Amino acid sequence: MMNDRLIIEGCVRHDSRAQKVLYEKYSGLLLGVCMRYAANKAEAEDILQDSFLKIYFRIRDFSGTGSFVGWMRKVVVNTAITHYHLNLKYRYHVDIEEFVSAESGIAGFDEDFYTADELFRVLSDLPRGYRMIFNLYAVEGYKHKEIAEMLGIDTNTSKSQYSRAKAVIRDKLEKSGRLKASYHG
Amino acid sequence: MKAKKEDRYLRELFRHKLEYAEIIPDPSVSAKLMRKLAVREFLHFNPLRFNIYYLGGIIAAGIATMLVLSNGNESKERDKTKQPQEIIEQIPLSDKNGIVQTTPQVVPVNTNPADEEKPDSRIRNASDSSGEAVVIKAIVPDQDTRDKYGLAPGIVSKSLSGKDLFKSTSGENLKLREMGISDEKLFEASLYEGCAPLKVSFKNNISGFDSCLWTFGDGGSSWKNDPEWIFDVDGEYRVVLKVFGKEGVLSESSEVISVFPRPSARFEIQSDRIAVPEDGVRFQNYSAGAVRYLWSFGDGTTSDLFEPLHMYDQYGNFNVSLKVYSERGCSDSLMVYNAFSGSAYYIDFPNAFIPNPGGPSGGVYSSASDESAQVFHPSYSGVAEYHLKIFSKLGVLIFETNDINIGWDGYFKGQLTNLGVYIWKVRGNFSNGEPFTKMGDVTLLKN
Repeated sequence: MMNDRLIIEGCVRHDSRAQKVLYEKYSGLLLGVCMRYAANKAEAEDILQDSFLKIYFRIRDFSGTGSFVGWMRKVVVNTAITHYHLNLKYRYHVDIEEFVSAESGIAGFDEDFYTADELFRVLSDLPRGYRMIFNLYAVEGYKHKEIAEMLGIDTNTSKSQYSRAKAVIRDKLEKSGRLKASYHG
Repeated sequence: MKAKKEDRYLRELFRHKLEYAEIIPDPSVSAKLMRKLAVREFLHFNPLRFNIYYLGGIIAAGIATMLVLSNGNESKERDKTKQPQEIIEQIPLSDKNGIVQTTPQVVPVNTNPADEEKPDSRIRNASDSSGEAVVIKAIVPDQDTRDKYGLAPGIVSKSLSGKDLFKSTSGENLKLREMGISDEKLFEASLYEGCAPLKVSFKNNISGFDSCLWTFGDGGSSWKNDPEWIFDVDGEYRVVLKVFGKEGVLSESSEVISVFPRPSARFEIQSDRIAVPEDGVRFQNYSAGAVRYLWSFGDGTTSDLFEPLHMYDQYGNFNVSLKVYSERGCSDSLMVYNAFSGSAYYIDFPNAFIPNPGGPSGGVYSSASDESAQVFHPSYSGVAEYHLKIFSKLGVLIFETNDINIGWDGYFKGQLTNLGVYIWKVRGNFSNGEPFTKMGDVTLLKN
């Protein structure tokens, strides 16, 4: 297996073998990232393809310092944001009803209780905007101010959307938790 | 505080589970990506690969080469491909009566002896704008066509020679519209009049052209040499044929095609049930645009009346047809297969009746008086022999009759039978001898 440095050098030269190796090595991880932003696998794969094209053609922009994977993840997230904006153009934004922030009886969620698969499903069921902001804030770790800039929205919108997203997610997790409990119990 | 803690839990849950989660993409994604990549790479300049910039360069170079070559070879090409029909000649300006010959040959009319030795010299002259010589492309119909239209070669010669030629000596735009044959029939149609929809085959009688355009007068057109056209709506259509040579319109000609309206044959049969031989059948004629009618009743007889009344002398499924003709002789026809789907003979029973609780009536009924359905009886036509039996559900024979005019009043041995379902069975023959057997149930209801 080539190491990242060789792969990057190959890709800079537009060497098709290096491009292929890059895909083989990172497509799984990056599709995982895409999946969080997408409503379904097909959409995630679209984002993945566009991301790889960007990576292949902008690989010179990678400074060489810092994590290559981190850089690629950033490209993927940016591509997902582009897709999000493209999709917004073609659909009316339907805001789901306000959630009353219900006091949850559970202090925390047992990590072992949920599989990655279930969490992906919870995310993919979210409205587009909620999914975007939840991902950027909770998983990618961006600040609300940064998110607001990236998406071209107000900081407060980002915050309120995040808390609504959270409410929906909590609701879904509790439901699937109860279902699980009833299966096991 | 609690909310903050929960928020942290939630973030950690998703981050830990999903930040490095891997999903294996569908193998097709890789293939699609590689295809997209190949296209992008092609569009991207890279000195090491073949890409669109190189392709563009090659195409540009190719076009340039072709332009250079075609400039020199254009007249040569034309000469090679069209030689049997086209003649390139040299006519010295000084000679007012340019000699035209209809045989496909290059005739050295110039006294320059070099031309006789070098066949290519006329090409040189073609591109030579010195005005010393002019190139004339003439269309000469083949022998057959000329014979057909009585065109002596001389006519062509005459029209080609003389001053006309020198009116338009502007190089490539040389038009030869005055060909002598343009007033003649340039094309033939298989039909000049007929009934809609009219299919006409056209035959282009001239040859030696580059392309021809037919316009059919109904909005349609064709670039075929010998097109076929269907005029689906009646009317008068002016069909125009334009013939193009390299230098423009060579000739055009037109013909009028008359398309007559077609009548429509329509009729209805009053009833699809006939009782032979009693009933006469009336045919209602809804035809339009017709002046003459020809009926065929399917039993070997015909009629030319507008609305005939026909008596069939035997039962059968006849195919009735009507053919109508317009004044112009256009015709249309309509045939109804198996016009008489059912015999007019039938027998049907109701599925319920309400006996009169006042006492047995003896079952005598008439269709007019039995509106309250007090007697169980059939509705029928053409029944000759008849035998009806009615059973209880247990199979006890309750009622029997051979007289179709007597129905069941719902009484058995003077007593009104119980409410419920009874079985009936009927046998018999229709008056044409066709037997029937039917069985069913009837519900006895009470008021």
